[in-house]
Amino acid sequence: MPRPGLAWALSGLCGLYALGAGCRRPDAAAPPEQSLRISQRNEPATLDPQRATLPDEFFIIRALSEGLLVPAPDGGEPRPAVASGWDVSADGRTYVFTLRPDAQWSNGDPVVAADFVFSIHRVLSPALGAPKAALFFPLRNAEAFYAGREKDFSAVGAQALGDHLLELTLEEPNADFPALVASGPWIPVHPATTRKYGHVDHRGNDWTRPGRFIGNGPFTLAAWRPNQEIVVVRNPAYRDAARIKLRGIRFLAFDNGDSEERAFRAGQLDVTLAVPFSKLATYRAAQPPVLRTTPLYETRYLALNTRRIPLNNESVRRALGLALNRTALVEKVLQGGQQAAFTFIPPGLGGYQPQWHVEEDAAEARRLLREAGYPDGRGFPPLELTTWVNTPVLEAIQQMWRQELGIEVAIVQREARTHLAALFAGDYDLALVTAIPDFNGASDLFTALKSGSPGNYAHWSSVEFDQLVTGAGRAGSAALRNTAYQRAEKLLLTELPLIPLYFNTQNFLVQPRVRHWQTDRLWTRFYSDLSVD
Amino acid sequence: MLPPAMLRFLARRLLQTVPVLFVIITATFFMVRFVPGGPFTAEKEIPPEILRNLTAHYGLDQPLWRQYLGYLGKIAHGDLGPSFKYANRSVNEIIGDKLPVSLELGALSLLVALLAGLPLGVLAAVRRNTWLDYLASSVGMVGICVPTFVLGPLLVLYFAIHLGWVNASGWYGWSDRILPCLTLGLVYAAYVMRLTRGGLLEVLNQDYIRTARAKGASEYRIVLRHALRGGLLPVVSFLGPAVAGILTGSFVIETIFQIPGLGREFVTSAFNRDYTLVLGTVILYAALVIACNLIVDIVQVLLNPRLKFE
Repeated sequence: MPRPGLAWALSGLCGLYALGAGCRRPDAAAPPEQSLRISQRNEPATLDPQRATLPDEFFIIRALSEGLLVPAPDGGEPRPAVASGWDVSADGRTYVFTLRPDAQWSNGDPVVAADFVFSIHRVLSPALGAPKAALFFPLRNAEAFYAGREKDFSAVGAQALGDHLLELTLEEPNADFPALVASGPWIPVHPATTRKYGHVDHRGNDWTRPGRFIGNGPFTLAAWRPNQEIVVVRNPAYRDAARIKLRGIRFLAFDNGDSEERAFRAGQLDVTLAVPFSKLATYRAAQPPVLRTTPLYETRYLALNTRRIPLNNESVRRALGLALNRTALVEKVLQGGQQAAFTFIPPGLGGYQPQWHVEEDAAEARRLLREAGYPDGRGFPPLELTTWVNTPVLEAIQQMWRQELGIEVAIVQREARTHLAALFAGDYDLALVTAIPDFNGASDLFTALKSGSPGNYAHWSSVEFDQLVTGAGRAGSAALRNTAYQRAEKLLLTELPLIPLYFNTQNFLVQPRVRHWQTDRLWTRFYSDLSVD
Repeated sequence: MLPPAMLRFLARRLLQTVPVLFVIITATFFMVRFVPGGPFTAEKEIPPEILRNLTAHYGLDQPLWRQYLGYLGKIAHGDLGPSFKYANRSVNEIIGDKLPVSLELGALSLLVALLAGLPLGVLAAVRRNTWLDYLASSVGMVGICVPTFVLGPLLVLYFAIHLGWVNASGWYGWSDRILPCLTLGLVYAAYVMRLTRGGLLEVLNQDYIRTARAKGASEYRIVLRHALRGGLLPVVSFLGPAVAGILTGSFVIETIFQIPGLGREFVTSAFNRDYTLVLGTVILYAALVIACNLIVDIVQVLLNPRLKFE
């Protein structure tokens, strides 16, 4: 009968509510002391510094191990880590690093120069297939050894002069070399551990599991539950252990930006990696200390396939570039604190300051387009703008071109690897691309644009550009190198095989209880000074 | 001892499974390799020498037919191969870690669906056209229309963020099971409720029910002992595809609640072009769906005296 049934139902619901109210949420009620929970948005494919490629993998690797040098948070000269300092010979070809006597691996073994020589040998072994081996090619004979032309590793310019002196000899003087040494792939591995779990340069070598991983950094690997969490705990054997206040860090996996933000709001997470676009305005208005914005050395640009008509015509390319309003894109469309890019290289990267900038002039754009044979956009072939990132910037660009030039460009969104495969094959018209340097130096980005380089998506070729970039790589001093780069960039921005749009920023959330959160513009994290209230 | 008819039926169905799986494996193997891009396509291009070494290590430089036969040979020994994306982890290991999680999520959600849907459906049919029926039917309609990716975050917002009773995400303690299973289960509960109500209503109008009533049986006895057996038939037929749906729909739940299950791997392995993991998960899901359909068919025969094993 209805009445008793209703009464039962209501009292049942009240009972459940009372029960629930008595429960405390397990994870967030009293955050554990001196333990930090950081969001990890991409599951690491590997924690081996010599096989890792993504910044997400190096987030964790840098907690576990450190190299000779570490980047400086402000982007200046790299700071000593395992090495206490270095000397350069007069001709700029020989570097001698002095290692600290108190640097140890987490099992108590001292860190010695031979460990670095071993690591360099391993990364250059062709069998390992290290994706970032190119960061070691400035060393004498390194590229030859890697390609198999040189069989004897002792010919490569890496030698231990003693337990605490490491001599590195370069092919040519390279002003970027300290920045390279501070990059993630230069972090060493513990030789005995890699030997213990398989052949040293075998890809299947399983030494990175918890309980096996030996590093020389502030934390050790305690647990790795894939797609759930990675737990690291304080390493008492670290050379600077007294400075580490955190007892441990939990890297919690999150695949989705909305789940990450909900967990942050529920108090389960201390630091996120991003902020959902729809929530940016709210966080900016309501809780400024929680929202952090870090500019990045990351260029978003449009690659123009110079092998296709009409993009093979320089006037057309320049017209497309002139007709844009980057300030409007950044302020009205993106609204995330990004910076409009009038150069390809982010200013300040590796101490480089660009000299030449792209212009914005819609009238001039129309004149160039008319000159190219498409007055007011008439007769302009329909082009496709492909991307794998779904961003409103592209629709704004489409509208700008429609309005200023009278041309129609269709936006096509492809799945990530399909898009990349099309880029490499030259099977596209215009594409949105992101350029991230591997280390604090501009040479990475310039070399990718040389003729025939796989990263030269525009399939552009300029002999003068190639010569300038090669010459810059050989320049002994930073000043000479930068001058050569400036001339190369001027050429690039005149012929415009790619149109720089904006420099990206990272917007993310940090709980007020976290102190001294520090990252630099290349996604490097600095864990040593972190603490929680 | 099982009746010989059922045993023959089982044997026949199991034999049919082999060619079905074979076709699925072959089609997936070739489809995934013809998709543009490969496991090593990345934004930062890999130098050609390294690419050569990598493809050689994984045997991707061999002719396709040889890779195919090699793969079939390995499967025959139960080895699903190494993952291309996650260095040092084999597909067996990944599936071994994640399958129990997905199975637990699926089983609990199914339990929620049945525990919520069946009684409500029975109530609605028995108390037909009363406020109870209308309430249950409305809840059912809402449950069918509201997608999991709306219901999930709403539940999280209220119970985890606002009230603070449970975690917003994760799969650590028993309390972490509540919201995900509720979200996934309630949607199916709505279907179960409507199907039970419909099936039961149809049965309750049958002659043999009238006979039982005339003989003086109590309402409880009529419904539970006589009517339910027939009334559950639509639900049972629905459960076959429902289990498949729960297993694949778990991808959304696993993303919302950050659950380390296989549903996510099912999808991301295709994006990663992790050929071996794609094949491993496809084989697993195919086997599960085939098994579920088999069980559903058997249960249907057991429930419905008019059906026989043929």
